[in-house]
Amino acid sequence: MTTYVPDIEKAPEAGSRKEPSYLDVTKGFWSWAGTLDHKRIGLMYLVGVTAAFLCGGILALLIRLHLWTPDGAIFENAVYNQVFTLHGVFMVFIFIIPAIPASLGNFVLPLMLGAPDVALPRLNLASFYLWLTGTIMAIYSILSGAVDTGWTFYTPYSLQTQQAVVSMGLAVFTLGFSSIFTGLNFIVTIHKMRARGQTWFKLPLFCWAIYATSVLQVLATPVLGITVLLLAFEHLYHIGIFDPAHGGDPVLFQHFFWFYSHPAVYIMILPAMGVISEVVTVHSRKPLFGYKLLAFSSISIAVISFLVWGHHMFTSGESEFVMLAFSFLTMLVAIPTAIKEFSWVATIWGGSVALTAPMLYAIAFLIIFAIGGLTGVFLGTLSVDIHLHDTYFVVAHFHAVMMGSTALAFFAGVHHWWPKMFGRMYNETLAKISAILILVGFNVTFLPQFAMGSQGMPRRYATYIPEWQIYHQWSTVGAVILGIGFALMLGYLIHSLFAGRKAAANEWGGVTMDWESPTPPNLYNFDEEPVVTGELYDYGHGAKH
Amino acid sequence: MGHSTIVTPTPQGGFQTHTVAHHFKTAEQEFQSAKLAFWLFLATEVMLFGGLFAAYIYYHDVYPETFQKGGALLDWKLGALNTGLLLTSSWTMAMGVRASQLSQRKQLVWWLVATVVCAAGFMVVKYIEYSTKYHHGIFAFTGLFSPDDHYAPDLQGLAYPQLYFNLYFTMTGIHGLHVLIGMIAIAWLIWRGAQGRFHSGWYTPVELVGLYWHVVDLIWIFLFPLLYLVP
Amino acid sequence: MAHGTDTSHGHGDTVVDHSHHAHVCSFQAFFGIYVTLLFLTFVTVAIAEPVSGLHLGSASMLVAMAVAAVKAALVMTVFMHLRWDTAMNNLAFLGSLIFLSLLFLFTLADHSTRQVADPIGGTPVEVKRFGQD
Ligand SMILES: [Cu+2]
Repeated sequence: MTTYVPDIEKAPEAGSRKEPSYLDVTKGFWSWAGTLDHKRIGLMYLVGVTAAFLCGGILALLIRLHLWTPDGAIFENAVYNQVFTLHGVFMVFIFIIPAIPASLGNFVLPLMLGAPDVALPRLNLASFYLWLTGTIMAIYSILSGAVDTGWTFYTPYSLQTQQAVVSMGLAVFTLGFSSIFTGLNFIVTIHKMRARGQTWFKLPLFCWAIYATSVLQVLATPVLGITVLLLAFEHLYHIGIFDPAHGGDPVLFQHFFWFYSHPAVYIMILPAMGVISEVVTVHSRKPLFGYKLLAFSSISIAVISFLVWGHHMFTSGESEFVMLAFSFLTMLVAIPTAIKEFSWVATIWGGSVALTAPMLYAIAFLIIFAIGGLTGVFLGTLSVDIHLHDTYFVVAHFHAVMMGSTALAFFAGVHHWWPKMFGRMYNETLAKISAILILVGFNVTFLPQFAMGSQGMPRRYATYIPEWQIYHQWSTVGAVILGIGFALMLGYLIHSLFAGRKAAANEWGGVTMDWESPTPPNLYNFDEEPVVTGELYDYGHGAKH
Repeated sequence: MGHSTIVTPTPQGGFQTHTVAHHFKTAEQEFQSAKLAFWLFLATEVMLFGGLFAAYIYYHDVYPETFQKGGALLDWKLGALNTGLLLTSSWTMAMGVRASQLSQRKQLVWWLVATVVCAAGFMVVKYIEYSTKYHHGIFAFTGLFSPDDHYAPDLQGLAYPQLYFNLYFTMTGIHGLHVLIGMIAIAWLIWRGAQGRFHSGWYTPVELVGLYWHVVDLIWIFLFPLLYLVP
Repeated sequence: MAHGTDTSHGHGDTVVDHSHHAHVCSFQAFFGIYVTLLFLTFVTVAIAEPVSGLHLGSASMLVAMAVAAVKAALVMTVFMHLRWDTAMNNLAFLGSLIFLSLLFLFTLADHSTRQVADPIGGTPVEVKRFGQD
């Protein structure tokens, strides 16, 4: 096996195509706003979630700058509460949950199945507009008084604070249904739209990951929907279901909330794992090690994720008996997760690895995900969690999983499929620099947080004791490095749209069906209806192209 | 890909032809995709109502006496009447789907009309129940829970009686909203069915609305004993 | 492509696709189920404590739920055609009940074990149970 060299000279000329690409086939605002094409909907999501990431990122940077001094450098304490709540809501509900499935999944999934579109294109567009509506409602809640509860909306505090909790709850309800409809659509698409000859075990692993994610979206999200609806009723009419002043039990709110929000963590990480599987195999030019194990581990992570939510409530007053059960069950998640990590490393081992930009992002993922996953085992351990609960250790842990893993996998995927999406290539040198900046920046930001968290620095505090200032300052420096890395990325990606070189037909030498379509794909994706005959991930064949 | 237009077989007698959407290869693929999607949607409905049921069982366990005395204030005869109405509508809906499968245009319309009539009857009974409660001060969504003592002497001294009634109003309210949405959907089916839009070759909307309507019925099957017949 | 009878596949052709066949229930089957459902509703009411005064204790609610489950099963299998539907459609709907039961299981397990602080070993300590003021 040798490293794949894309045939840039043979980059497709506009005239040589049988049909115009999906980008050229129609023009104008309504050809995008009213499109049923999964690729255009995917791109609209891509723009939307990136904007949300930018907003959430600026808020994060403000939080870090505020914490430069022990007394807080920027905000009033109350404003600080609103800022971190908005950061959480933007990053969790508006950015990271739709990020990979709705943007990359929408674009790539039908291509990988050799299908002309998702099964339900109208529903697909409807979920985009639900997402947009939910986002606008969330922004409205910010303008109409802001929410300061954290993204978890715990009662009874969320019942005593501003009325904006109601509109924010309804925003989350709307965003939830957007997520449900996307997941539902993808399940149907994977079941009913596969190419001839594409059996379940010839599905690329990204499809398996999206499938497992979709199951979670469909089954878990409705419970969040009813929870935030009840929260809104509670706030407006004091119905008492979650309010101890009216006979309700706040712990029940937490049960309902985490019944969704623990699986939601896997709604975030499972598609990221799918992206990493694809990136690792293509850029190592080697079939994935343990394909079936990777596929089944996605499904088993999805199932186990419904059994562990109580590990968020070890200090909330749930009974000792269920604490023990939840702590034990939480350990089970580590098994399929470790299988994945080892499979990726084994895939890279002995492959002809090309250190391209997507691969660098994937390697950064592998490093940070190992940290995030292992610290999760600490937190799942009942006795240790009593000490670490609600400290910066938790903050650092879930940022390692959400930001350092999911967001990095999202960007790995964006870099990986960018030439397919736009037919243009970004500046690879700059891309590699930004990948390294982000890897370094992430660790400078969050390793000090692990340290001070284990010493007891509580999360969500606007001030702290001077002993922790050095940690906070390192963390802020790291956040600035991260900010520079992301700003650089935004710059060269936008630049590539106008001035990037034309991408090769198959820029990385991928062998799944997404790379067989014209670059960029046609309106209905392929020139001919694809039929699957060979093996999956067969680079011996693919390298001869 | 897929340049030929696929249509489903259309029976004689003024029925409209259905063209399969361009991204499907067969009519069967289109029908089965819509159906799987709808079953998944119904699964989300189960989970959504499931949260409410979990809350109900939880608080029933915490405040058994409140729930028993609260439930005794509901009129089980009206509840049973509504159960009968919804079961009847479920049957007429099933017959409506059958009529569309057999391309029986007139029968389809009449079965659907019967379904909407039963649903409307259900809503009228619900309205009577709600307004009775409202007049006796048992409607906490107005912010004030002040049951009058002649109507509800048993509620005095109970722990959090409004919790039971708020669950009752929330559960039946969200269920009632589903009934209303179903009525609108069935009215649309009647309109299009009368035009001959649905027949043995294509009856997907009738099938899907039918499934939805049965789930509305399923939820009520559990709501009735839980709310009206609390032991 | 289509499993239909028409095999001409030129540009812009119209193909009639006869591939779809569905199960159709008889009038008698539907009516039988309908009558059974009404009968079971009558049973539910007749044995309910507030109506009949029967004291079944804690079994009362369980019996009512069991009858409701039978009614639900009849609606699902016959009215909703699940008996003749694909395995995947069965799984899609019934699977939700399995996951819902997890929500019930853990939430109620928490509630019912909250009164003892050490249910596993050592000396159990009585603590105030939520809802007992
Ligand atoms: Cu968790």
